[in-house]
Amino acid sequence: MTAAVEESASVRTREAALLEIRQLVVEYGAGERPARAVDGVDLAIGEGEIVGLAGESGCGKTTVANAVMQLLRPPARIVGGSILFEGEDLLGKSAEQLRRYRGRNVSMVLQSAMNALNPVMRVGDQFVDTMRAHERIDRRRALMRAGELLELVGIDRGRARSYPHELSGGMRQRVIIAMALALNPQLIIMDEPTTALDVVVQREILQQVEALKREFSFAVLFITHDLSLLLEFADRIAIMYAGEIVETAPAEQLAVSPQHPYTQGLLASFPPLTGTWTRLTGIPGSPPDLRDPPVGCRFNPRCPHCRPEDHELYVRQTTERPKLRIVAPGHEVACHLIARGSE
Amino acid sequence: MSQLDPISLDPIALDLPVAAPGRGRHRRVRVPGWLVLLLRNPKSCTGLAMVGFVVLIALIAPLISVDHPNDFNILATRQAPSWNHLFGTTDQGSDIFSQVVLGARRSLLLGAAAGALATALAAILGITAGYVGGVFDDIVVFLTNVFLTIPAIPLLIVASGYLKSRGTGTMVLVIALVLWAFEARILRAQALSLKNRDFVLAAKAAGEPTSRIVFGELVPNMISRIAAAFVLVFYIALLTDAGLEFLGLGDQSVTSWGVTMYWAQTNSTVLQGEWWPFFFPGAALAFTVLGLVLVLAGIDEVSNPRLRTERAGRRRLFGRLVGGRAVARPETTS
Repeated sequence: MTAAVEESASVRTREAALLEIRQLVVEYGAGERPARAVDGVDLAIGEGEIVGLAGESGCGKTTVANAVMQLLRPPARIVGGSILFEGEDLLGKSAEQLRRYRGRNVSMVLQSAMNALNPVMRVGDQFVDTMRAHERIDRRRALMRAGELLELVGIDRGRARSYPHELSGGMRQRVIIAMALALNPQLIIMDEPTTALDVVVQREILQQVEALKREFSFAVLFITHDLSLLLEFADRIAIMYAGEIVETAPAEQLAVSPQHPYTQGLLASFPPLTGTWTRLTGIPGSPPDLRDPPVGCRFNPRCPHCRPEDHELYVRQTTERPKLRIVAPGHEVACHLIARGSE
Repeated sequence: MSQLDPISLDPIALDLPVAAPGRGRHRRVRVPGWLVLLLRNPKSCTGLAMVGFVVLIALIAPLISVDHPNDFNILATRQAPSWNHLFGTTDQGSDIFSQVVLGARRSLLLGAAAGALATALAAILGITAGYVGGVFDDIVVFLTNVFLTIPAIPLLIVASGYLKSRGTGTMVLVIALVLWAFEARILRAQALSLKNRDFVLAAKAAGEPTSRIVFGELVPNMISRIAAAFVLVFYIALLTDAGLEFLGLGDQSVTSWGVTMYWAQTNSTVLQGEWWPFFFPGAALAFTVLGLVLVLAGIDEVSNPRLRTERAGRRRLFGRLVGGRAVARPETTS
């Protein structure tokens, strides 16, 4: 009886998820030792939710984003798992179905706004192109809407006549965000959208995204290496390390009780804005080679809790891959320390 | 020369603010922006004027020439340039002025057709191959390599020697087939470098179809190179055609600059001190080619919006110095 109730609950949550990534595996390169940039990632994004995906450079964040957009190009390829958007697997869709899905259902804000605009086309025309790829709309109407979208992100509508090089970096990033909104998608993937900008502009833009989100209620998958940014901005945060998700938790909970040593390390890598001054520690070592990741827990060579003295734990850490375990509602951690604690 | 060209005196071309994006454009006659910019550029303006002059001459040719320029006239052979025969006469007494003027028609037609054909072939195959990649790319690369290794002039000589028809159409086809591979290779390389830019990825992420990405995103970035390809093939075709005719491998029944020179050479006119049968068609050819080269030089500056702004900036400063009014344009933030 209780089992049935639980099952229906889990089915319901699965249905509520807008995007669900299940056991996604992406490899780069062929041959004997392909690099597994993404290795068994599970991630769900609900409607209107802001999910942050954080991790060091090269941990597979952008690869996840490209997989969701189905924009992976050889040598990258999806080896296993599935990506469900509104319950439908993207991996089985035709090229034309995917083209319709991109932009209309999910849009993307790219890492470098400087390069994401076509340098020889006026900004407005680039909006028109995006809209016309999906709907029959005449040029004048499309340009009008481009102007409205620009005003939404705080840019004068006359700027639609500008070329990208006539805009500042912050303005360009806003233009890109406005463009991502053009077709009113349910999900916007933002891949380090503010990395190239200074903190003041960064904050302005994030506030704008939040305001827009309240208005249009899209979901956001926010990819960054800046965990401090996510703590304020995201509803839920997933921490990625070497192609795996090692911890997911609601943002407030992650801020106060990070469980995974890697998350703790990331949080200790930047100064808190309030509270006592503590020494910044950072994380010693560097990310592993993904063609030959460490056996067992991938974080074990850098983990401060992985010592040969504690023999039993050490053996598990270096031979057995930890699984994600629920430690609190909505909070999952993949770490042997936690497993031992809960047993 | 530019005074002869009506378009260079167009008031819009002389009025500065039109180039400033978007301001006050609706009040004026609509002229495509690129043309205004080409006319603003001194090099391409001169070039356009020269080519425009030749086009004008070609258009009004029947009005200013005799009806049958190749007719013999025993009474008026080997005459030096005079008011009766502006460019002199040939050994057979034909009017060289009429031949040159009517020859412009064939030359322009042939150059434009060969340029358009070769450029279209090169752009469509080269850019698509670069962007799409895979087997299609392999095939195109193989084809360009084959065509690149074919020596152009000997092929043309052999082809025109064997072909039954030596009409303009055949010539266009042969020249375009020999020249497209050079351009295809260059355009493919450019497409390869452009396709990995973020804006192409962004366009893909926005769900734009491949055809739109190729023609809406890549091609606008390559306009200068494509236009350059057209102009380049245009004048190579002119020169090649004249060269083949000069060697006697063209169609001697047509009126063209090359044929006039062929007869001049056959009759060894220079040995007899007659310079005019060579000089005038040769000068016409050189004039047209020079005009095209100048247009080509201007296209590059015009096709890049960044270079454009810098130019306009200098213009504005210049305008202030000579007391003209400053150009109103939106301030650039950075």
